Amino acid sequence: MTHEGSGALAAAKVLNVVGLTKSYGGLKAVDDVSFEVFEGEILALVGDNGAGKSTLVKALAGAQPPDGGRIEINGVSHQLNSPRDAGEAGIGCLHQGLGLVDTLNVPENVFLGRELLTRLLLVIPQLDHRQMRERTIELLSGFGISLPRLNDPVIRLSGGQRQTVAISRLLLQDVRLVVMDEPMAALGVEEGRRVLDLVRTMRDRGISIIIISHNLEHVFQLADRIAIMKNGRLIGVVRSAATTRDEVVRMITFGAAT
Amino acid sequence: MTSNANSEPGIGHADRRWLFEGIGLTAVILALAILFILINPRFGTIANFINILTQASFIIVMAVGMTFVITSAGIDLSVGSAVAFITVVAFGFIKGGLNPLLGVALMFALGAFLGFLTGSLVAYVKIPPFITTLGMMAALRGLALVHSAGEMHFGLPTSVTYVGQGVLGGVPVPVIISLAAAVFGAWLFNRTRFGLHVRAIGGNREAARLAGVPVNRVEVMVYVLMGLFTALGGLIMMARIDSTQATIGTAMEIHVISAVIIGGTSLFGGRGSVYGSVMGALLLAMMTNALIIAGVDFFWQLVVMGGIVLIAVAISNLREQRIPALAQFMRREPSGGAESEPARGPAQKQGGTLS
Ligand SMILES: Nc1ncnc2c1ncn2[C@@H]1O[C@H](COP(=O)(O)OP(=O)(O)OP(=O)(O)O)[C@@H](O)[C@H]1O
Ligand SMILES: [Mg+2]
Repeated sequence: MTHEGSGALAAAKVLNVVGLTKSYGGLKAVDDVSFEVFEGEILALVGDNGAGKSTLVKALAGAQPPDGGRIEINGVSHQLNSPRDAGEAGIGCLHQGLGLVDTLNVPENVFLGRELLTRLLLVIPQLDHRQMRERTIELLSGFGISLPRLNDPVIRLSGGQRQTVAISRLLLQDVRLVVMDEPMAALGVEEGRRVLDLVRTMRDRGISIIIISHNLEHVFQLADRIAIMKNGRLIGVVRSAATTRDEVVRMITFGAAT
Repeated sequence: MTSNANSEPGIGHADRRWLFEGIGLTAVILALAILFILINPRFGTIANFINILTQASFIIVMAVGMTFVITSAGIDLSVGSAVAFITVVAFGFIKGGLNPLLGVALMFALGAFLGFLTGSLVAYVKIPPFITTLGMMAALRGLALVHSAGEMHFGLPTSVTYVGQGVLGGVPVPVIISLAAAVFGAWLFNRTRFGLHVRAIGGNREAARLAGVPVNRVEVMVYVLMGLFTALGGLIMMARIDSTQATIGTAMEIHVISAVIIGGTSLFGGRGSVYGSVMGALLLAMMTNALIIAGVDFFWQLVVMGGIVLIAVAISNLREQRIPALAQFMRREPSGGAESEPARGPAQKQGGTLS
């Protein structure tokens, strides 16, 4: 494996993954994968369909605990057994296919699992719809976005708007690392560009990002480093400034580094 | 993108559209009521309306519980049998000298326990709700028959019959109870974390799980809640006629589920309306009442009821298909390339962008 430095600055390691393994029956979907992510860095994760990218994301999200290996966040080893664990460790995840509930409206989706509560008659907890709504507007306008019809089920939003909702979910909690599984898939050019901007804004706020994409143009536009997976194994990690698209395609296809 | 919609003061609990649907159903009920009164003035008396509300009371109570079950993408076919089982057991104890208040508490405990059992089988053993509750339906009916085959129980203490026969300020107690149950249910559904979680797991179970919703626990709670509402419905029924028997509540699940579906709750889960379920139960009770007054034979009443349910489901399905992506997702069709919007159902791959 080629490990390269994080550039000139000796930035802190936000994430350190060591020997992560996950099998489905006999299939090793993630096979002894080790890598690290530094503060304020965008790491792209690429590989063919079935390479194991989403499986890796699910392990980081606490959605599907790995069989073996270690996940360290800011130098502390964490057992991520549930999405809640991951959230508490400071990892926010955007899953492939969004992970929104189509029938819920925007604030309900943004706050699902972390609802704001108020007290009815000072004792009985109930949802604070007003505050969740206001916080949602605040959150979105912080990124220069305003959505019409916050009360509509999100199924009626456009792909880009839905992506925005999904991303604003991540920013609600105090995240240090955001993992995004194909956030630009199925988006138009304009909406894809808007999501790219959103990712950069997050990075500028000091959040580290792992982003999965099949679109190498996006990858080279965004990423500081590119990690390439094939058949569950991490083939290599290269600095995007020091490689070419052809090189990355070769690694995705044939596995061998040069 | 405009933000003018953001400033409107009405804080949306559920979606406004479903509210309009509730209003639509209310209008249908009012129109039908006027029609019935024109056809036969006997239908329009206050006494008859109170009669309809009383008739509908236990169905309303159970339909409130069933709204949660169906919204969670489940179903409970066992409510009728559960009423029989719970009432014959409780009746036996109360007749045997158990304090009536404890007897009522026992009913709720039984209801909650049965719900816990059903919910656990659904959530943890992963038996589909339809099958689980079909099994419960048969088993509970069997147990009720074993407990008191052919027997008819009579003679409850007045403290219990009051629940079904009492009148408070001119309004029958069962009507007051069903109204209270409906208000509580609507609050729980729209205004609490539990209600949101129920709507979330019915809308997209995996997304809810990834968002940190304790999906299994919520699912168990849904059936426990259904059990509690079933016990309450059974209590009203038993108290109203001051009797019970092992065959009570036969086919009741059809009425309860019909009320919920007529009320606009989606059979696919994810969205529902407690208010709609109450209106659905009222519509059914009103139709039955009108058919009885018109002297329509019982068998034909069944045919009419079945027709109403089928029409309601058809309407609900057409409505569902008006949301194309959802309908597409439901039918698991590949997305058509001709669509102008990007598809947003299942994950899409951008296969062509790699090379
Ligand atoms: N729940 C599962 N059960 C069994 N096998 C699975 C499961 N999820 C993934 N796999 C298998 O694990 C391997 C890795 O899948 P994964 O989803 O991680 O790939 P991916 O790199 O995200 O692919 P894509 O680019 O298509 O999203 C594949 O061979 C897949 O078939
Ligand atoms: Mg994937």
